[in-house]
Amino acid sequence: MRVVLAEDSVLLREGLVRLLAEAGHQVVRAVGNGSDLVAAVDELRPDVAVVDVRMPPTFTDEGLRAVVEARRLVPGTAALVLSQYVEASYAADLLADGRGGVGYLLKDRVADLDALVDALDRVRAGGTVLDPEVVAALVARRQDAPTAALTPRERDVLGLMAEGRSNTAIARELVVSAGAVEKHVSSVFAKLGLAPSSDDSRRVLAVLTHLQHAT
Amino acid sequence: MASVPTQTLRRVAGRPVPPGLPVDRTGLVHRLFTRTGYLLAAFPLAVLSFSLLVAGLSAGISSLTALVGIPILAGTLLTGRGLATVQRSLAGRVAPDVAESALVASPTPATAGWRRFLVPFRSPQTWLDTLHGLVVFPVATFTFSVVVSWWAAALSGLLYPLWSWALPADNRGLAWVLGFRAPWQDTVTTMALGLVGAVTLVPVVAGLTRVQVGLARLLLANPVQLRRRVAALEASNRAVVDAEVDSLRRLERDLHDGPQQRLVRLQMDLGSARRRVTGDPETERLLAGALAQTKDALAELRALSRGIAPPVLTDRGLQAALGSLAARSTVPVDLSVDLRERRLPARTETALYFVVAEALTNVAKHSGATRCDVDVWDDATSVHAVVTDDGIGGAALAKGTGLAGLSDRLVGLDGVLDVTSPPGGPTQVAAALPVGPVAPVGPLGPVERAR
Repeated sequence: MRVVLAEDSVLLREGLVRLLAEAGHQVVRAVGNGSDLVAAVDELRPDVAVVDVRMPPTFTDEGLRAVVEARRLVPGTAALVLSQYVEASYAADLLADGRGGVGYLLKDRVADLDALVDALDRVRAGGTVLDPEVVAALVARRQDAPTAALTPRERDVLGLMAEGRSNTAIARELVVSAGAVEKHVSSVFAKLGLAPSSDDSRRVLAVLTHLQHAT
Repeated sequence: MASVPTQTLRRVAGRPVPPGLPVDRTGLVHRLFTRTGYLLAAFPLAVLSFSLLVAGLSAGISSLTALVGIPILAGTLLTGRGLATVQRSLAGRVAPDVAESALVASPTPATAGWRRFLVPFRSPQTWLDTLHGLVVFPVATFTFSVVVSWWAAALSGLLYPLWSWALPADNRGLAWVLGFRAPWQDTVTTMALGLVGAVTLVPVVAGLTRVQVGLARLLLANPVQLRRRVAALEASNRAVVDAEVDSLRRLERDLHDGPQQRLVRLQMDLGSARRRVTGDPETERLLAGALAQTKDALAELRALSRGIAPPVLTDRGLQAALGSLAARSTVPVDLSVDLRERRLPARTETALYFVVAEALTNVAKHSGATRCDVDVWDDATSVHAVVTDDGIGGAALAKGTGLAGLSDRLVGLDGVLDVTSPPGGPTQVAAALPVGPVAPVGPLGPVERAR
């Protein structure tokens, strides 16, 4: 895959370049701020953009905004957003346009090469990837009905759905059949009162929205 | 949306200055004697003050042309100031707030040479002090005469039978004038007068004291300087809190850009190393251990950052940060945020965030609650944050608790923290902070960074 990397820290940029090379991908350009990222995506049309959230000039959420802008400019751009801390509100912003092909991970996660490769593949394929830490915090605290009405298995499925996994991936993860996963998914949607969605990306958004807001 | 009665929000504030004379719990008679003593003592002081100041002023003004008048006038003003200090402490016996105003001493810059003589002229309060020293004379003369006469009338009237024997036989008193000729009528009339005097003594003395203290308060209580000093102190308070919030945010940034980043890179490299090591289980084990340690260190740093200066609060503001708190809470939280502007000043956001964080921690640890409401809203003058839970209650602002520390922080910002937690619950923690005119304020720190 051809990758554009946006990371202002030299230390991490080097690390990421090496990791991506280890994964068999090619970094076609490495930039250090949001506007350069948008320009690079427009010019080079990479397979995936790997972007750090905090970049100059304000060091708040430039990366996030640049990704949103790049996806507007070049629809279908896949982007993996990395951060040293993850917050649900950022995830919501990223998923807002409802189209897939976007991921939000803790930087810690990418040291695990398998996780990085998996995330890149899923994002490139149009799926959605959310860091388990964001999801876990959201799922864990919703002990009130109707989330309480879910069986433990269904709660696992809910969490994996929120992370952006497809049914097949969930089946593999939980070591159950695809049919069982489908049953769990319908049950979860029914119990939470959500409209069933075959589109994985919209599914993530729906689940995330539900988990974030209290009734 | 929860509404908190405003009376309960005033418990932490300091005691207000009472108008008029302070309500003294020490008893009617004690007050009477204190005030009489004050009025009596004020007279000789006023006489002294008047004589000194008139002498000094006339000497000074008349010798102005010879320039020696300037130091004489300066000396007179200083005398006026000194006398005013005595007046304040005297008046402070009956009205403590007047004495307290003397504590406001603004530093005067050191001046050399002949300019020293000009310093007293520049302070408006010194002129007021001197004016008081002059004006107090007629006032004190009046109050002195009245108080002495009234006491005399009351005492002599009531005690008439005790001393009437000393009067000459052909004494003609008020009774004679009124047409009563019998001695017992004389006694009764005089005693009645004394009674009237005694009964009215307390309000009369109070009234006279009010007049005299009123004059002192008008001229000596230093209102302009007090107001300036209060404004300066408020500004310095805010500056101190701002500096603390700013330095904590820089610390968080430094952690993020320094150790945290290095650990992330370390993790990447350790991961790569582990992948390259094959067939050596010991090395693999060591590397796996090292990776786990790094992961834990990063998690701890993240938790630390949240405790110092949560990045989401700095970058996204109070609503997003509270949402994050709510998401992390083990007790379900119903969050409602209704602010007119997305961002508030950093010190306000930080204070409110930590109040809610502490309250939610207490809810999770001690309350046994099943649900919790967090309401944040603002109106024209203040921003409010209220955390209510349905737990067992019993929370308190006791010294040493996290809430007590937060209460201090809020008081420093001119705000208020109130905890209502009867045993059995429910518990409500309410914080309120003043807000100025609505103006958007961006996050502190990042824009000035030189990186």
